[in-house]
Amino acid sequence: MSEHTFSPAWRARSLGRRGFLRVSAASAATVALVAATGCGSTNTPQPIAPSPYQLVLPAGDPGLVYFAYLLALAQATLYQRVIDSPPGDLTTAERAVFADLRDHEVVYRELFKSTIDPTRSKDVLPADFAFNPASLALSSRAGVLAAAQQFEDLAAAGYPVLLLLVTTAGALLQTVLLKAGSVHARHAATVRNLLAPGSFADADVVEPTGTLAGQARTKTPVEVMAALAPYFAPYVISVANLAVPA
Amino acid sequence: MKLISVLDHLAAAPAAPPAPRRALLAQLGRAAAAALPVGLAARPAAAAPTDTPFDAVTQLLLLERVQQAFYAQALAVPGLVPAAQVPGFQRLLLHQTQHAAFLTLALQNAGAAVPPAPAFDFSGRRGVATNPVLFPNVLSAYDEFLALAQQLEDLGVRLYQGRAFAIVSDNQLAGAVRRMYAVEARHSAHVRGLRQGRGVAVKTWPSPTDDAIVRPPAAQALTLAATGGEDNTTQYLTAGIPVPFAYLLPTNGSLAVQATAVAEAFDEPITGAAAQAALDLFS
Repeated sequence: MSEHTFSPAWRARSLGRRGFLRVSAASAATVALVAATGCGSTNTPQPIAPSPYQLVLPAGDPGLVYFAYLLALAQATLYQRVIDSPPGDLTTAERAVFADLRDHEVVYRELFKSTIDPTRSKDVLPADFAFNPASLALSSRAGVLAAAQQFEDLAAAGYPVLLLLVTTAGALLQTVLLKAGSVHARHAATVRNLLAPGSFADADVVEPTGTLAGQARTKTPVEVMAALAPYFAPYVISVANLAVPA
Repeated sequence: MKLISVLDHLAAAPAAPPAPRRALLAQLGRAAAAALPVGLAARPAAAAPTDTPFDAVTQLLLLERVQQAFYAQALAVPGLVPAAQVPGFQRLLLHQTQHAAFLTLALQNAGAAVPPAPAFDFSGRRGVATNPVLFPNVLSAYDEFLALAQQLEDLGVRLYQGRAFAIVSDNQLAGAVRRMYAVEARHSAHVRGLRQGRGVAVKTWPSPTDDAIVRPPAAQALTLAATGGEDNTTQYLTAGIPVPFAYLLPTNGSLAVQATAVAEAFDEPITGAAAQAALDLFS
């Protein structure tokens, strides 16, 4: 079945609702941008082909599942890297924490993946899609803890918004996201305290004052994906179809 | 109902706060009206909690007040909390105070009755000197204090989670509850981490490998509310079909996932009734 492979030809055609949707709006926007910066009638802008690396998450709850899947995939890959080549100054106890973080994220990754593809009959991402942690400093204890904090704070900030976007038909998804959301906040507090004791709920992650004092700072799917984007390059993930927070 | 329309009218009156908050509260006011017995008599404090937004917010307020009182009393005992940990507990106290204020305002703006704060007694004697002490030394021995703090924070995470489904129709309140939920989880992880530092075998997320906190039979409601059922390994994304983790998770070499991972990866909710039984131990 052609569904099993991600050749350029595969990318160029429309997929079933469970797969990534091929770009339309995004490539149109790119064309529009080229047109706007064109410099005269002699320089007619040429439409450019849709990027083979643009992946558009589906609308509705399936898009939210894909979003949570990508987040878990990123985290699981990061922690596996730390476990496979831990910095020399990372303590035994801290290595055990990373093993747990990895385990939890693998649980989430596989749970969401099985939701996208219950029969495990197709690839849910292109074969060459990967989370690339090369730009993270993973050779020291401080570096791996800072990276873990970056991704756990991101997940902890993203889940409270994600929860509000689940449709009323998605009660089971809502339940699982609730259960995983607080564990991400636990992860974040844990790695923050390892890096800087007492920083588990600092003002950069919990509103210190104002109407929302004492509440977690949050990030929308657009903000979360923007933070993840450098690590998924050359692929570009569009969350334009996802519901927007009210 | 006539009463409902009166409350709606009140919520929309010029004296009401600015629009976003009013929207939050029109919703709650409706729920509060539905929950009030005819004649606007106050609901008995010990009534079994049900599942309206009013019940949920009222119970979350009680939870926050319990936590707030516990940290306030502990920080008032000289030397109980080591100096290095005082700022952390001051932060917990501040957050619980902020949560309580937010929930109080939500009730007030909805025109709903704000229950008076009970006098809390963390010995478990419920204010009666002849009752047996259920929680010895929680305000005189640091390790005992930490153990109760952990249970109250775990309870908090699970109650916010359990109540989230009762608070969905108003986006402002629903968002606030989910954001406070995340903060409770950070608190729990912090307290669990402090206990780790004191030599207790406990992870910063509930784990089947955690040392149990031993309580007398009369205090089992707290144990159940804090961690009962946390060892659950069955999750659903399709009705009636458990997620087949045993089949999905890697088992080979450096990729193998530990046996406790599935239970740890999910915090489990509690019902309002389970939480109430535990919270009632302190007042």
